[in-house]
Amino acid sequence: MNMYCIECPNGCFMEITDYEGKITVTGNKCKKGYVYALQEITAPMRTVCSTVKTCFRNIPRLPVRTSGSIPKEKIFEVMNEINKITVSENVSIGDIIINNVLNTGVDIIATSNTYES
Amino acid sequence: MKRKIDIYLKKNIGKSATSSEYRKSILLEGEADSWSKIISAGKYAAKFGYKGVINKISLKGFSEDYISKPDFTDGKFNNYNTDVLIIGGGIIGCSIARELSKYNINILLIDKESDVAYHTSSRNDGMIHPGLVPKPGTKKAFYNVRGNYLWEKISEELDIELHRTGSVITYDKKFLNIIKPFLKMRADKNGVPIEFLNKDEVLKYEPFSSDDIVGGIRLPTAGIVSPYKATVAYAENAAVNGVVFGFNTFAEKINTVNGEIISVETNRGKILPKTVINAAGVYSDIIAQMAGDMFFSIHPRKGQIAILDKKYGNSLYSILSRPNLNFHSDTKGGGLVKTVEGNILVGPSAEEIPYREDYSTDYKTIISMISKHEKALNRINKNQIITYFSGIRAANYEEDFIIEKSDYIKNLIHAAGIQSPGIASAPAVSEEIEKLTVEVLSVYKEVKRKDKWINRRFSSPQPLKLSIKDRGNLILKNPDYGKIICRCEEISRGEIIDALKSPLEISDLDSVKRRTRTGMGRCQGGFCTPLVMQIISEFKNEPLNSVTKKGHTSFILGEKTKEFTGDDLNEKV
Amino acid sequence: MKKYDVIVVGGGPAGLAAAISSSENAKTLLIEREHRLGGILKQCIHDGFGIIKFGEKLSGPEYAEKYKDMVKEKNIDIITDSFITDIKKNDKTFSVTVVNSSGISQYETYSVVLATGCRERTAKQVFINGERPAGIYTAGTAQYFTNILGYLPGKDCVILGSGDIGLIMARRLTLEGANVKGVFEAKSEPSGLMRNIVQCLEDYDIPLELSTTVSRVFGKERVEAVETVRVDKNMNYIPGTEKVVKADTLILSVGLIPENEIAEKLGISTDIKTKGPFVDNSLMSVNVPGIFCCGNALHVNDLVDYVSESGETAGKNAALYKNTNRKLTKIIISDEFMYCVPQYINYETDEKNIIFYIRVKNNCNNVRIIIKNERDEIVYSRKYIIMRPPEMERLVINKELFKNTSFINISLENGDDNI
Repeated sequence: MNMYCIECPNGCFMEITDYEGKITVTGNKCKKGYVYALQEITAPMRTVCSTVKTCFRNIPRLPVRTSGSIPKEKIFEVMNEINKITVSENVSIGDIIINNVLNTGVDIIATSNTYES
Repeated sequence: MKRKIDIYLKKNIGKSATSSEYRKSILLEGEADSWSKIISAGKYAAKFGYKGVINKISLKGFSEDYISKPDFTDGKFNNYNTDVLIIGGGIIGCSIARELSKYNINILLIDKESDVAYHTSSRNDGMIHPGLVPKPGTKKAFYNVRGNYLWEKISEELDIELHRTGSVITYDKKFLNIIKPFLKMRADKNGVPIEFLNKDEVLKYEPFSSDDIVGGIRLPTAGIVSPYKATVAYAENAAVNGVVFGFNTFAEKINTVNGEIISVETNRGKILPKTVINAAGVYSDIIAQMAGDMFFSIHPRKGQIAILDKKYGNSLYSILSRPNLNFHSDTKGGGLVKTVEGNILVGPSAEEIPYREDYSTDYKTIISMISKHEKALNRINKNQIITYFSGIRAANYEEDFIIEKSDYIKNLIHAAGIQSPGIASAPAVSEEIEKLTVEVLSVYKEVKRKDKWINRRFSSPQPLKLSIKDRGNLILKNPDYGKIICRCEEISRGEIIDALKSPLEISDLDSVKRRTRTGMGRCQGGFCTPLVMQIISEFKNEPLNSVTKKGHTSFILGEKTKEFTGDDLNEKV
Repeated sequence: MKKYDVIVVGGGPAGLAAAISSSENAKTLLIEREHRLGGILKQCIHDGFGIIKFGEKLSGPEYAEKYKDMVKEKNIDIITDSFITDIKKNDKTFSVTVVNSSGISQYETYSVVLATGCRERTAKQVFINGERPAGIYTAGTAQYFTNILGYLPGKDCVILGSGDIGLIMARRLTLEGANVKGVFEAKSEPSGLMRNIVQCLEDYDIPLELSTTVSRVFGKERVEAVETVRVDKNMNYIPGTEKVVKADTLILSVGLIPENEIAEKLGISTDIKTKGPFVDNSLMSVNVPGIFCCGNALHVNDLVDYVSESGETAGKNAALYKNTNRKLTKIIISDEFMYCVPQYINYETDEKNIIFYIRVKNNCNNVRIIIKNERDEIVYSRKYIIMRPPEMERLVINKELFKNTSFINISLENGDDNI
């Protein structure tokens, strides 16, 4: 099985072989590729970046992201949770907007301030 | 005559085609398999001295022509009485409105679009032609030369930037000697000053002109205006003097009784005018027919135009062209014009098309125009293009203006069939229509000049064109003139708000663009579109996604992201 | 007239880095035309920024905020909402005229760092013809609508061009509920990074059609459909391959052009390959000393980390700038390369190393970059398994290797050779 690594802009083209349960990865320039490949063939994970609504006229949307990776199949469920939120008080970069979203162990965090410092 | 036309039709169109004399005109009917055959038939029939050619030959398989029109109805103008109803808000309709606004009469100008200058008046090269080209003795020749003369006064009164640059046409030796006497004669007949230049003199006027020429001619009275700004200026001055502008108003039916118009039905109600002026451009034949005065046909002639980046603008000073030596080749393709904003404009082309609002462009035409004009000015090339567009000329088969009282409908006046040089002729056309309207209207009521007519109009400030000191002072008075919104054309927030505050109620992105030039630069609105939309939305106090590009249903945005919960109503600043 | 040592034009990632490094040694003014610093990063809410610089996958606003925090700690004068309307070269200085809501001000400076970024190629520049309805936007404009204003540009979108912003917008629009009908790329290879093909298109089953372009737009008021057509190697349409795709939105990701209108006002000569100024390794213009250039105004980068790096270089050298004569070594590149920045080497600078940013024209497998001096001696070589146009290569090479040569040659050779 072949895949491109998405861990960094290099985008290494990797070959993954499973010989009697022993998995080997070739083509990756670093260890991140190996880890990614193993994860991808068992339970693919992704990060999600989006925005949430706010009550601030000058900043109608605040950018947010997952603090880590979530299962790929949960992307749209997480988006649903993100879409429910409306920020009505000032928040800063890194503030948690949703704690442990859908029990994934990952938070939704603000990636910008609602104010200009 | 009719017999000759019938023979032509049978031979070139087919058995189905016939002609018949209708009043003083000739009516062609039948079905043809190509548009060019229909055009040729119309042109042929125009040679026999009829008042007009009504070409109703249909194109096989041609689907219904598209007309952009308002998608709503209301009663805004229901049973609305007006002394004058002008149909059409191009430069002709607007200049007529302005000239008539000096009388004690009510004037309503309607246009199906949401602003003036939506069609041909914003889609041309803005040239104030000297008047050499029209055949001597035609209306075109007369109004062009007279209009060119009047532009001096009009530009002064309405604060329109007019660059009286003159135009230069360069020639190879052979060509110049052949046509020199002919040009001299025509110039004298039309009353157009002309100068013959040697090569050095050409290079004095246009130093970057290709130097493989032997000389040229110069027409010193040629000039350039911004055609859409000129139309807006006329309209604004008319509005200040009481002319009512009914935008998004589409004339659907004209009711007449005993050869007199009694009402005009629109999507916004039934208008009751004493006189009607047909200034409907590419639709002027349809309006004439609606009123029961069918005597000509408009055949749309498309002109594609390319605009080059301002930064290459200094290769040209005025208007330059170099006719093709080959008499049989397609010599259409206009010339090179240095616009008042400093861009080089290339074109327009000329293509006969069946559609009245087909503003599509094609790669081949744009590129071939560039190649053609590279021969006049070899510093231009296709990589300098920042945009291109097209306009539709309202050509009739007589290829002359129709500026007259209707022969059959006593309160109808035509300002129709006005194509190039329409902008140049506009002041003279409106002068004549003013006279005709006063004559017609005097039958119904006493027409007197107003005591107080405001003949001057002032453009809102253009900070970029001011000195540093004046610009600084302007910003001190209104800081919005210091907030740059369009970075390519350096247009400030203040100028956009001025445009929105104009006496005509406008709100489209393209209307703002025509008045201020936001989005006309090299990024083509990539950066400023959202910013201008926000200003429009704030000014109108309407949601962002109600902003349109060019009226009707041309919405720029889709839905809000994230479903609506009601929370976002409690806005904080 | 206020006097500065360095004026940095532009408060995006390049300008912020330039201002920070310049302020170490010089009195610095940063001029930004928008209200907030951060440049285009403000709307790039996806992650993947800063992997090299900070070892983290940050979103655009987070990356920008880190630099904004650093700027605050330095002694840097900043004016925002301010637009440069004119710049002039004097005997030893430059005068910069700025317009903002308090009026017009003039500044004098010894050197200028241009960090003006880039703009997007438009529909007109790729010759999409047909009607001109609402609904045609560059990817950046669509990104502003979606991420900053909170509105979708439309419901059914077609994307032309597989540049990274286009790919990222395909995912963004899908996540926000729009229907992305496909990404069309005229070239036979994607223009964006492979990781974005995977995580923005494949993850969401968005089709990518290569060697296919959009030839026409239909719709009078709003886009109703587009016509796509397959193209051959020379970008000519292949007749009979036209298809009509129903869509209300056409998004263009067809390339970026460095914004160098200020540089042009100063008569700076630009490289037609990069569309940025010709510079030496201090990132100073080769024909107008005192003018430095960095970030996407210099050449279009694929990683913000390198944008910041070039800002840092330009800022530092602008602060140290003294108007002395330079002896420049020309860098000549072979045909396989799209471009190389810098285009010249000034041996008399402080740095030990020279950083080359180099990009190939086409995909190349198993190759070797070879650098030779005027005596045809190989001074440097490096092997690559694959080189792709979207992925810029960065070489850091000891300056000593380029001593005593009037030019250097960079070429691409078969990687199998034993050297």
